[in-house]
Order: sequence, then C-alpha cells, then structure tokens
Amino acid sequence: MPHDGQDLNLDAADGTALLDDLTALTGAAVPAADAMLAAATEALRARVTRDGRVSGAALERHQTAAHGLAWLATYVESLRQMQGWAERLQAEGRFGEIEALIHQIAFGEYLAQMRGGIPMSQGEILRPADLGIDAGALDTPQVDTLVAHGNGNAARLRLVALMRDNAGRATVGATGLDEEMEMIREQFRRFSDDKVVPHAHEWHLRDELIPMSIIEEMAELGVFGLTIPEEFGGLGMSKMSMCVVSEELSRGYIGVGSLGTRSEIAAELILCGGTQDQKAHWLPKLASAEILPTAVFTEPNTGSDLGSLRTRAVRDGDDYAITGNKTWITHASRTQVMTLLARTDPETTDYKGLSMFLAEKTPGDCAHPFPDAGITGGEIEVLGYRGMKEYELAFDGFRVKGENLLGGVEGQGFKQLMQTFESARIQTAARAIGVAQNAMEVAMQYAIDRKQFGKSLIEFPRVASKLAMMAAEIMVARQLTYFSAREKDAERRCDLEAGMAKLLGARVAWAAADNGLQIHGGNGFALEYSISRILCDSRILNIFEGAAEIQAQVIARRLLG
Amino acid sequence: MKVLVPVKRVIDYNVKVRVKADGSGVDLANVKMSMNPFDEIAVEEAIRLKEAGHATEIVAVSIGVKQAAETLRTALAMGADRAILILASDDVHTDIEPLAVAKLLHAVIDAEAPGLVICGKQAIDNDMNATGQMLAALLGWPQATFASKLELADGKAVVTREVDGGLQTIRVPMPAIVTVDLRLNEPRYASLPNIMKAKKKPLEEKTPADYGVDVSPRLSVVRTVEPEGRKAGIKVGSVDELIAKLKDEAGVL
Repeated sequence: MPHDGQDLNLDAADGTALLDDLTALTGAAVPAADAMLAAATEALRARVTRDGRVSGAALERHQTAAHGLAWLATYVESLRQMQGWAERLQAEGRFGEIEALIHQIAFGEYLAQMRGGIPMSQGEILRPADLGIDAGALDTPQVDTLVAHGNGNAARLRLVALMRDNAGRATVGATGLDEEMEMIREQFRRFSDDKVVPHAHEWHLRDELIPMSIIEEMAELGVFGLTIPEEFGGLGMSKMSMCVVSEELSRGYIGVGSLGTRSEIAAELILCGGTQDQKAHWLPKLASAEILPTAVFTEPNTGSDLGSLRTRAVRDGDDYAITGNKTWITHASRTQVMTLLARTDPETTDYKGLSMFLAEKTPGDCAHPFPDAGITGGEIEVLGYRGMKEYELAFDGFRVKGENLLGGVEGQGFKQLMQTFESARIQTAARAIGVAQNAMEVAMQYAIDRKQFGKSLIEFPRVASKLAMMAAEIMVARQLTYFSAREKDAERRCDLEAGMAKLLGARVAWAAADNGLQIHGGNGFALEYSISRILCDSRILNIFEGAAEIQAQVIARRLLG
Repeated sequence: MKVLVPVKRVIDYNVKVRVKADGSGVDLANVKMSMNPFDEIAVEEAIRLKEAGHATEIVAVSIGVKQAAETLRTALAMGADRAILILASDDVHTDIEPLAVAKLLHAVIDAEAPGLVICGKQAIDNDMNATGQMLAALLGWPQATFASKLELADGKAVVTREVDGGLQTIRVPMPAIVTVDLRLNEPRYASLPNIMKAKKKPLEEKTPADYGVDVSPRLSVVRTVEPEGRKAGIKVGSVDELIAKLKDEAGVL
C-alpha cells in the first residue's frame, strides 16, 4: 500500500526500459550462446580425452572446467527455454511489459555472466579462460546490446514498479502454463495461505512435526496420488502438475512441499521396479496417504558415492535380516514403510550387489520413535528443513519379508533408484522455486513496509534491484523446471534437464533467501522474522537430491558423452 | 431439486485498485480477476445442500466476458455440475447492471426451473447489492437476504439473517432467492481429482439475444475517484491542548 507523500513513480528517468525488437534480439543471442557452449565442450573434451575416450582421472584434474561446462550448458538451456516461453506468450498475446522486462533482464544478465564469469558458488566464478576458450562466440551485435542494456537499472526499477501493481497474482509474470494448471496453482496457493503460512514459522521454531491434520487435508486434495496411475488409485496427472503443486506448497513451507517427495520416490520405485503384486498392494495406499514412506539410502560413510554402501540384507528363511547404519533419514519415525537400499551380495563392493526393499515398520511417537525390534534411531538436529525430522538409524537384524524385495530379484536396487532421479530432481527444482518465491514475497513486503530516511526501502535502487533479480531468476528456474517436466511427461530421457533445473533452482533459492534477509537488515537475523527460517530452509536445496557439485559432475559427464 | 448459483468474475480482493486516468472507472486491464468471494460462499452452500441430499444438481451461471468461463470452471471444480456462460460484453470494463443481470437470470430460471437460487449478497467490485432482490421481484419469488445460516425442511428454507440488531430467522417457501453473507460457510479448495473432472463437465455458451434481453446500460458513471489519502497528523503540546482540540475542532467530546 502506498503511504503518505510516497512517490509512486518508480519509472525509469531515462525513457523506456525495454529494448526494441526484444524477442528478435534474444532469439539471435541463443545460437551465439550455443556456439560458445560447443567451443567449450570441444576444448574440454580435448583436455580430458585419453586414447579416444574420456578419462576419469583427467576429468577429475579438470573438475573446475568440467563443472563450469555444466553451468555454462545450464545457462544456455535457460536462455533457450526463456526464448521459447517468450515466443509462446507472444503468440498467445500474453507477452506483456512485465514478462518482457523479466526476459530482457534474464538475457542481459546471463549473457554478461557467460562472458565475464558464472558464479558456480559465491567464491567460484567460472570464466571463459577456465574453460580454455574465450567468449568470442558471443561477439555479436545482438549480444552486445543485451549485455550493455538488458539488465540496466531502468529495467530493474520498472520491473519492481510493475511487481508492486501485481498484488494478488501468484507469480511475477505469466508462467505460460494452461488454465487448468493455473487453477491448480490458485487452489494450492489458497490452501498454503490459509493452512500453512500462519503456522510454518512456529513449526520451525519449535522444531515440530507437521501436524497429521495438514497431511490428511493434503491427501484429500489428492497430493499423494498425483502422478500415480489411475489404475493404482492415483490421479495419473502430469509431472507438470506435480511441479505446480510442489511450488505452491513449498512456498508455504518447504517441509509441506516435501511431504510428497517421499511418496513420489516410493511410487516411482514401485512403478518402475515393482512386481504386479507390489504395485497393486502399495500404490493405492501411497496414493491415499494411508501409508507414508521414508527413503532410507544414505549411510554415515556413504553419501554421494551411494554405490559403496555397506548395510547388509542377509537371507534368513523366507525373510531378510537387515544390519547396518543409515543416516539423514527424513520423516523416519512417523512413517509406515521404508524404501531401503541394502547390500544383498556380500561379494560385491559396488552398486551391483545392492537391492531395494519395501520394509514395513511401525510408526513411532515422541516417546518411542522406533518401536520395532532391530531398529533404533537418534534425531539429528538441523538448521532448517524441519517439520519431518531427520534421523540416523541403526539396524540390527531388522526383519523384512522376502516378498518385499522390490521386483522380486536381487541386485536391481541401484538401477531401480536411478530411475527415480529424474522425477525427484524435477520435484526438488520445483520446491526450490517455491522457496525462492516465498523469499521474494516476504522481502518485498518488508521493503514496502519498512521506512528509513523518510521512505520505503523499496524506493532505494539497491533494494529494488535485489527484488528484480529475484523475479527474473525465479522465472528462469521455473522455465527450466517446466521444460524438464514436459520432457518427462513426453517420456523422454531428461536426467540432464532435470539436473540443470535442480542445479540452478537451488542457487536461485539461496540467492533469494540471502538477499531477502539482507533487505530485512538486523531484523532478518532475528529468529522472529520468517526470512530467517527461509534462509535456513533454502540452504538444504544445494545439498540434498544431489549436491551442486555432484549435479554439475553428472551434467558434465553427459555433455562429454 | 436443482439449485442455481450465479457467479461473477470480479477484480481479486488482493489487488490494489487503480482508477483509470480518465476517471471513467477502475483499471481492469491486466489485473488479477477471481470469483466474487460471496459467490464462492454461495457455490459452497449449494454443494453442501447436494452432499446433504437436498439438491440433485447445481447449475452455475455467469454473465460477462468470455474469460468468465475460467470463473465457471472454478465453480465446476469446486463441485457444480454444469455451467452456463452468457456472453454479454467483449470488454472487461463494461459492467452489466444488476437489472440486466436479473432479467437474464429470470430467463435462465424460466428454462431451468430450479427449486432454489443461491447468490452472493453483493459483488465486491461495485457493491450494488441489488441483483438478488431484483431477481426476486421479477420472478415474484420470496427472498431471504444476507443469510448466515440456511436449512431446508418441508419445502421451506429457514434462513438466519445478519441484521443490525442481531440475528433474525425467517422461513420462506421455495422456490426462493437466498443471498449469502460472509459467515455462512468457508468455501472449500477444489481438489485435484475435482479439477480434473471439471474439464469434462458441460459449459454452455449463450448470449443475451438468446434470451431476448437488452443489456445496454441505464446508468451512467459520472466520475470515479480514488479515496483521498490520509492527511498527516499533528503533535499537541499538552493534554489540555489535546482535550481542547477534541472538543472544539474534532467535536468528539
């Protein structure tokens, strides 16, 4: 709301902020970006190829360049997706000023970073020279114009002025999704605003589990059966709809947006690797949330290098006995089934001897978190991403029925798990967007309400610029995520795209939270303000579901072929 | 029994309303539009009547621009069975006046023969608070306005109304027009399965000409202005001065 005597006119003083023929300019920049990526890929390939194939040792020596290549490719794909988004909106007559400004700022900034340096993290700026190339491919008049004027002060201030008029809308700028998806967004946004936002901060501060009543309401709305086929009691909806739901729930609270993740992983595991009986038995119960699952993969000495895990599953009559230690088990206590990865073949030391189990357990409570025989657990206290609680678990002869070996065949566990990575990463990218959106909205409201030197903080260009960059980058991450969801829905391989979406989304969320806290000043450092929680919550996104470095490694490997 | 629920697409309640530069009205270009909140409550009440076995079919009707189809889809996703859209304007800035809306609804009711019409007490855009009452007059049906509670029994609607002095309960024979107030219920969220189903529910498009109704405006808007901003306050030096000002200038003591 405007205040007394407040100058509402944030318009650029130096005329229009928008470049002429914007989408033609940006359209011409995409092939230039592609050319730079091609040059970088060739340069790296030359450095890491030994005897005609990519050498692991050489790749590790050139890790910075390899991960830089992944980041560069992520930027190029981002620009391509933004261009596609802009052109589709234009064709539908929906490419308004707000969308054009976002598009222009995104191109201006990302092209400038490709030339000057891409922040892989705050301290690691990837420059063309690190890739063994120069940015000559970007020396085109269109790129010059976009770099010089795309992300200017005038564009950012104009975008923020429009954002202030944008109240009531769930997103800054049209997402390009259809009416049905936007109706889903609208409903879940309302649910989040009514049922989640008023309590999320208390849940976090008290380190409480998200109440069952919320889970029950989400189940009624259909969250847990979203992508499970109708024949197994689900809704058979698209990954795109999963993205929209995850975004809006995570915007309320990352814990709420993440409740569906475990059901999604468990359902994907069973759909891809389960027997017909296992599908018929488990999927309807997962869809209705009668059964809540937890993912039990990581071990104290086995994180990203999952293939080397040591928990043993030993055949004992018809059953298996599980022995070993697991850690970082989210929502471990209150759940009814563990998707548990263990080694069935003791002769192996790599992924080949691993099997996946649908291990039934009795849900616990505060006094007895793990009531079953053969399983004990301790809580891991965490900075953020609370609401489900993290545990380390110790198994000592814990019994799993033989029929609960996923797929009925040993040694398939790692492969089965790999098949879920695409979906899990797309969903995580969507969670990142929701967290970033939340950070932006909270920071923007604070910047409007808080007055210093006689005016709202948002009137100061450094504050407005932060908000404008959040809006622009959130749209970039969103378009990259929607692209991977579309690919998944079309049943095309999309590990590369999903990895890029997750990689970028996590950085965007952290940047939004960090800058959002900066806008709050000292108040942001107080636990009382929700931005302090959002900062803690956003930090996990760069770590779980494939740390940023692992994500970049996987992308680089794919790019090098 | 069939229940008819008229719904209006209005400027979203979160939007900071801006007056058009020429003062001819409120700027609706590119702003978020939603179902009138009172109409959402009406839809919810109709669904509850159906769930309780009182109603068999819920028909949602909207009169306005083609984008009102989105609003009707929301009503369908909440639980209405089918929808009728009467395309009465190409321009979002054209407000169809209550009398024209009432005449069109009259015609729809003649065709549909509902046992009950539930509508919002007013639309939050122009706050006319007239359509339900005009419709009751045109039909010669009983009306029960500002309902905060609704019960059906023996062909009658028992309606609790929020009035200045407290709560008034009246009984009206059906068919009747009930207009609903804020505290009647809390509208539900459309669930994912219902959003999916809404796609397949029928949405019929009509025009005012189909019903032989003239929707041309009878009112003319003279001027639209934004509310005056709050003026800066003053500091007083003493309690005595404050009391004097409250007495002499504000006239509140």
